[in-house]
Amino acid sequence: MLLRGSGEFELQGVMDTSIDSGVEHGPLLGQLVDATISRRWDDVAEFREQCVRTLGVQETVDAIAVASAFNGITRIADATGIPLDSGPAEATESMRSELAIDDFSYNEKTRKYDRVDA
Amino acid sequence: MKANLFENCKYPVRQATVEAFAGVWQRMGESGPFWTGRDHMAIIQEARQSLECELCRRRLAALSPNAVDGMHDTLTDLAPVAVDVVHRIRSDPARMSKSVFDDALANGMTDSEYVELIGVVATSVVIDTLHQGLGLPVPGTLTGSDAPPTGQKEPEVVEDGAWLRLAPRDGELNEVGIPRQANIIRAMGLVPLVIQLFFTVMRQAYYIANLPISISRSQAEFIAARVSALNQCFY
Repeated sequence: MLLRGSGEFELQGVMDTSIDSGVEHGPLLGQLVDATISRRWDDVAEFREQCVRTLGVQETVDAIAVASAFNGITRIADATGIPLDSGPAEATESMRSELAIDDFSYNEKTRKYDRVDA
Repeated sequence: MKANLFENCKYPVRQATVEAFAGVWQRMGESGPFWTGRDHMAIIQEARQSLECELCRRRLAALSPNAVDGMHDTLTDLAPVAVDVVHRIRSDPARMSKSVFDDALANGMTDSEYVELIGVVATSVVIDTLHQGLGLPVPGTLTGSDAPPTGQKEPEVVEDGAWLRLAPRDGELNEVGIPRQANIIRAMGLVPLVIQLFFTVMRQAYYIANLPISISRSQAEFIAARVSALNQCFY
């Protein structure tokens, strides 16, 4: 399944490393992102240097900047419970079902995590 | 104390990014519509503290964070309701649920205070993550102004399916020149100041407008998708 629009790559390859995402240096970028978001700073240092050697130094800075930006913006979405925009909601309906992304919906999270209090 | 960001960085952070981030950091040291500058800095301190907080750790390990009661390990004099929201957003965003927002309101926080608070947390997450990702320490917090909150002109907001009211979807350019179309752009419509703060740093990292980014669009989208998946962000 290709994610079209602003970029084009195999969506299932975003998290499944056994699938080629089609993104240049995707596996290394994935490792850098994982370490950054998981706050494994020693690993970040190692992957950062690998990225500098493989992609280039400005590219490495920009990759970490994108990860940082999305580490922030996901929190805004998660803290406000905004619904999907109508266009993407329709375009991604089957994909969300196939990848079980609907399990992360804010209604579902509220149902799942608030039920313990009931 | 002036904000100095990216000091002694051995990697080439663009000057525009350094200046934009420093300006935002400095602005967060000033009072906003509903929180003082000192509060803003306390919010940032608590966001960082959540990563060391024992209650947050126990909640992360639990089937549901709402099954675990207790007191947060806190560093500041922020009200407990504010500390709880800050710690949850920073340490466990994947399991934010509407009850967190509802509890905050039930305990005296207004929806606008909530939005300003999450805007400060989210902005500081971007700034901290980029610093640490580049091997730098997080920026030192400022003293923060004790001047009373400024208040604000009532913004135009609408009910549109989120937990709180959003900026209208009218395609008008918002405080930083981004069309009010996507819900994520509208999410903090209750407090235009934090839209300005957050998207001033966001636009330095992502394709919002004329950013001279050196990785390909597919690489940027791949990274964005992976972070969203890791954070289990539905949106």
